[in-house]
Amino acid sequence: MNHNPQSSDGKHDDDSALSDFLGSLMDYTPTIPDELVEHYLAKSGFQCPDVRLIRLVAVATQKFVAEVASDALQHCKARQAAVVKDKRDKQQKDKRLILTMDDLSKSLREYGVNVKHQEYFADSPSTGMDPASRDE
Amino acid sequence: MNDGGLHNRKEQEKSQKQSKPSKFRSKSDDFALAIAKVAIAQVCESVGFQGSQHSALETLSDIIVRYIYSVGKTANFNANLAGRAEANVFDVIQGLEELGSGLGFAGGSDFDRCVANSVIARDIIHFIGDADDIPFAYDVPRFPLVKEWKEMESLWGKGEQPPGEHIPSWLPAFPDPDTYAARLSVGNETNSISSGEKTELARVERKMERSLLNLQQRFARNGNEGGSSNYGGYAGRARVASESNPYLAAPLHFGEKEVEVSPVVLPAKLSNEVALRNPVPENCDMGNRVSVLETFAPAIEGMTSGLCDLDNGQKKVVYNQSVHFKIGIGKKSFGTAPYFNSQNEDLEKIASWFRNDNEKDDKKRKAEKILKESIESSQKPTQL
Repeated sequence: MNHNPQSSDGKHDDDSALSDFLGSLMDYTPTIPDELVEHYLAKSGFQCPDVRLIRLVAVATQKFVAEVASDALQHCKARQAAVVKDKRDKQQKDKRLILTMDDLSKSLREYGVNVKHQEYFADSPSTGMDPASRDE
Repeated sequence: MNDGGLHNRKEQEKSQKQSKPSKFRSKSDDFALAIAKVAIAQVCESVGFQGSQHSALETLSDIIVRYIYSVGKTANFNANLAGRAEANVFDVIQGLEELGSGLGFAGGSDFDRCVANSVIARDIIHFIGDADDIPFAYDVPRFPLVKEWKEMESLWGKGEQPPGEHIPSWLPAFPDPDTYAARLSVGNETNSISSGEKTELARVERKMERSLLNLQQRFARNGNEGGSSNYGGYAGRARVASESNPYLAAPLHFGEKEVEVSPVVLPAKLSNEVALRNPVPENCDMGNRVSVLETFAPAIEGMTSGLCDLDNGQKKVVYNQSVHFKIGIGKKSFGTAPYFNSQNEDLEKIASWFRNDNEKDDKKRKAEKILKESIESSQKPTQL
């Protein structure tokens, strides 16, 4: 067949790209430690003696965290910009960027993770209701 | 009324399901979750955040842990699907693609897509190129720790012959005969009361305590074999261990150095407490367990605490659930001890001496407590 030698060449390139990729993985030290990743992979039944795969998962996880965190940062900055429109002096105070549950749940929703956080906890079902309706 | 009952039951079931800890929230996973929190806080800091809410950080670290878990699960599934037990890089990349398919990636809709030149891999390469290399803040040991089981020490096959044909050789060896055999010969020794006889008794007691101590240690060692994790394995000792377990301590701030806690603190504590109670020569040799016993031998000598230790030892054995020993010695009255079962009047006199030490109960209990704590904490170097 005609396209076979071409595809086999393509495969060689891909393989070499992949092996280069794995080699470059070992140069980079991910922030998430290998032991932690190995622990959870072992818990899930993933078995591999190759350290490069552990690094691959660690780097992929770090990339995921970075994406979620940067999305949350966008939300946080957008909120601060909206507030600054009203009062100029708030810009000096609210310079600290805090990761809040609100921003986190908004950014995680785009990744398919639904995180609903309780706004407040009440003592009983009728807390905060009008006294008239409470008697019902 | 029926509806109300049903409603309550459903709510109860729901609350029960929620209160049951998931596998990522169980107590044995606390260490890994704490490490994950630190790592994720570092990544958030590198992204640009200056702080975070506690609940937000915990939620994010929980999600990330589940992400790692599901990548592993998917990769393992792909490997098994291909008839392999070990996963390889293609399995992992396919797993990552599956997890990222919700968001979509370039080329996801191609039907002849090759895993080797997947976009995911390219994205990761770009990420590595762009991001800074921030190592993890702490030195993480390999966990869970797997302790080696010292097999040969406790089996009959070591060289001894089990007494009796009915005992197979693969069973653990019996402990010292002192711990379970009744010391009837003691009664014969004390025909006349003299100080020499009293020290003889004390010597015999010490020997018993020593063999019991060895027994406890042996069960402690073998009771924790088989890959039990060091940090979550044994609840009874974790209480004491967590106070000075370095892996459960709070993380160090930048610039602090780790301090060797356990070998230094203990002798000072021991010697202080002992000096307060009894004028005993300080014995700071923690490596030798028998010397710890010698330290307390004067304190325990002439008291019933030596035999009360048997009870403690018995409790420990029961807790480890390896062997049950009935050392039929009552804690309260000395009269039930097999020693003093004889009808000899002189023995009754000695028994009355020990029984009159009721006012020293507090001292005795404190000495017991110190001994127990010292045994447990002196066993720690072997566990770590």
